Amino acid sequence: MTDYAPVDLERGEQVEFDLNGRRVHAPPGTMLVDAAHANGVEIPIFCYEPRIGPPLGACRMCLVEVEGMRGLQTACSTPVSQDMVVHTKSDLAVDGQDGVLELILANHPLDCPVCDKGGECPLQDRTFRFGPGDSRFLEHKRHFPKPLDLSSLIALDRERCISCFRCVRFSQEVAEDGLLTFQERGGDSEITTFTGGAYEGRFTGNIVDICPVGALTSIPYRFVARPWDVTNTESVCGTCPVGCNVELTTREGRVQRVSGREDPNWIHEEGWLCDKCRYAFPAAWSPDRLTTPLIRDGGTTREVSIEEAVAAASVLLARENARPGIVVGPEATVEEGFLAQKIAAASGDAPIQQLGIPAATLAPIRALPPAELADLDGAPLIVEVGGDPANQQAIVELRIRKALRHGARLVMVGSRPHALTGLGEWHETAPGQIAETVGRLADDIKGTEGVIFVWDEQSLAQEPDAVPVLAELMAEVENAKQLELGAHINGAGLRALGLPADGVLEAAEAGDIGTLVCLLADPLSAPGASRWDAALGKTGPLVVIATHASELTDAANVVIPASMATEHEGTLVSMNGRAQRLRPGQEPPDGAAPGWQILVAIAHRLHTDVARSPSTILRTAVTERSALTGLSYKEMGRLGMRLRRPSPASANGAHAPREPAGEGLRLVTTRRIFGDGFAARSDALEHVRQPADVVISPAEASRLGLEDGDRARLVSEHGECVLPVRVSEAHQDGVAFAAVGVPGAGVERLLPADDGPVRVQLSRA
Amino acid sequence: MSVQDSIKGFGVTFKQFLKSPETIDYPDQKTPVWPRFRGRHRLWLHDNGLEKCVGCSLCAAACPADCIRVVAEENTAENRVSAGERYAKIYEINMLRCIFCGYCEVACPFDAITLEAEYELSEPSRIAEIYDKDMLLAPSPKPVPIRTEPSGRQ
Repeated sequence: MTDYAPVDLERGEQVEFDLNGRRVHAPPGTMLVDAAHANGVEIPIFCYEPRIGPPLGACRMCLVEVEGMRGLQTACSTPVSQDMVVHTKSDLAVDGQDGVLELILANHPLDCPVCDKGGECPLQDRTFRFGPGDSRFLEHKRHFPKPLDLSSLIALDRERCISCFRCVRFSQEVAEDGLLTFQERGGDSEITTFTGGAYEGRFTGNIVDICPVGALTSIPYRFVARPWDVTNTESVCGTCPVGCNVELTTREGRVQRVSGREDPNWIHEEGWLCDKCRYAFPAAWSPDRLTTPLIRDGGTTREVSIEEAVAAASVLLARENARPGIVVGPEATVEEGFLAQKIAAASGDAPIQQLGIPAATLAPIRALPPAELADLDGAPLIVEVGGDPANQQAIVELRIRKALRHGARLVMVGSRPHALTGLGEWHETAPGQIAETVGRLADDIKGTEGVIFVWDEQSLAQEPDAVPVLAELMAEVENAKQLELGAHINGAGLRALGLPADGVLEAAEAGDIGTLVCLLADPLSAPGASRWDAALGKTGPLVVIATHASELTDAANVVIPASMATEHEGTLVSMNGRAQRLRPGQEPPDGAAPGWQILVAIAHRLHTDVARSPSTILRTAVTERSALTGLSYKEMGRLGMRLRRPSPASANGAHAPREPAGEGLRLVTTRRIFGDGFAARSDALEHVRQPADVVISPAEASRLGLEDGDRARLVSEHGECVLPVRVSEAHQDGVAFAAVGVPGAGVERLLPADDGPVRVQLSRA
Repeated sequence: MSVQDSIKGFGVTFKQFLKSPETIDYPDQKTPVWPRFRGRHRLWLHDNGLEKCVGCSLCAAACPADCIRVVAEENTAENRVSAGERYAKIYEINMLRCIFCGYCEVACPFDAITLEAEYELSEPSRIAEIYDKDMLLAPSPKPVPIRTEPSGRQ
């Protein structure tokens, strides 16, 4: 990853200056390091990290000679100006850089052979290229006991720290958790947390990436590999709908590390990742990973080869009166979704659906210009409607924080307080009142140009009456853009294929489904779980293609183990419509196969002609689905491409308010950042994972006779579950808050199949 | 051919009878090698019994034949194997691939690996040609004498 900020030498105002005797130009205000880098001259740096914010000038490595200025200047904090004369390689400048490196190395232990950073270490590289070659220091170096666990994920080796402040500044200025600091002075300086406790948060892994030495290293990656032992694969994170670019580091046939990828123009995630993305990959080896294909026939369970399992599934689909139905889960790639559609079509136009949120009512908002994450940076006003980005789309939270530092105004409408609510104008809204609140704020918002509307898919699907209000408001604001906070990983991709979010369930309930195929879908832990549970009793044989064991695989007649996002090729579409390539960093375990291979094998057995590789499957999908027009692996390249046409939307649904039936508190759901999907199965995240609970206000708690820590039974018209109670002053009355997706918690049983509004009654369990 | 020529010829033969033979009774006797001969690798221990190798994998990086595999692990108080923070849990050299260039020895920052004199490296199977850490740590099973006197040959 380069450490320099992107500089536009083509457009806009430029100033000319002399760089090592060459006449070059850069936009005014550009820092000298960035301007030099853009013009092909490298000035060594350690503390400079433009993604963090303004330069600090802590390490003094970037000393250069500027004619007319006394002494040497730090190029990271000196902006270019017209006719400036800069020497980066003059004797004076080189002497300065040598001296600084000698001082930096005075206390740096030369334990490179045992240091995980060795081989990809900026200090090593720059010492080699810019350093003096030897040291005059004979004195003892400082010693600390090492390593220290900064958290369960990050090890701190204080001896190696060069006090560049990058991690502290990241914590203070980017993640804004304010946890990290330096204590003591001079040679005794050391990184620590203010509390003395662990450094835990949603973005902690980034400090490992930005540390220019081996002071901060990743514990799951500790001593696993050296840079020359590994292969790196550019892929996309498949754990949330944001779709951050990641690099998979593979050694010994296993993905050992997920790290941020360079984002050249800071359009997407700027190379930052949340810890969910970074540490969810060990789910591939969790004890409940499926590795053996199974066939259950009557009371007997047989372990079979994957070919036999595929053959058995095909027989179940092709037999007389099979009446198949296919459910596609949110992790399925575009290719897998398309193949599933092909199989459905070959099985007599069988019903097929995804486990997502119905799109019809949301079409008016989705039709408006979509925003990239970078659009938030310069936005004067961000209007956030519903949602909980901190837990569901963490990188969006980071980007909104950046926008706020740049002076954006943040207006939030929603019922669930989240990590950003203290930072802007928070209009707490009772569920069902978004339309009214937005209407009230409309006049205030209208006056600003270039507003970015960040809206939550699930919240607005629950409150269709707010959609036209919001869409009208967006239409009235000049240059408004919308950023969807999607609920499902590849929800946008499956929507682009035209997969509806209903159909199979209704048919199953009517007894019209013979063979039910669940492709990377677990309807028993999705909204509407109770209905699915009942419907499964009326269907015939169950074929499950899944990565991990669940209640569903326990009940299945044929279980075919599938690959995870780190193990197959495919295309994922992010929540704001960017199609990106997944590339495998490791092979699926023996006994499992990539989902597309399983589907191709089934299709061939059904005598359906489908392409035999992900790229050709995508090519067919593009010709047959207009929303994918222009998409190809080549076009997607490294950073993906935006889908050019909107997804097919059926007629705009009715935008009448939805009032849930029954009595009790309104239930508002979110996800837990480390609590769902692969993150829930990763042993690396074990210590930061929060258990499931239901949150209510103190007033509701006393009304219901519940106390913090009690166990409450939640009953809705759809089902029930039992959760521990947490009482929070920050949460409003009349609402119960709970997280979906946490394995075993069963909150999904309370919800309707379309993830719509619901009321729950709480009682002591 | 005259009688004189025959006498001359047999004279050479008789002269050789008096010299000790150049042939060596291999395998009972082994050809001595020069001190800088590069043969089978050996991993070394410190005097206190700890392994010198810290599993840094620099030898693998230097190896032009890509025949070294190192998988490191952290030393713990209960299981201290090397003197550093980490040690080589797996250290393997594929002797079929090795070209005996000695770059691993040059790369090693702890003098943990050296190329020794042993040259009898044939094994009954390909898999047996992958020497593991225990084999490499053990003293040479088929020692070879080191040559000290200057060679008579050119």
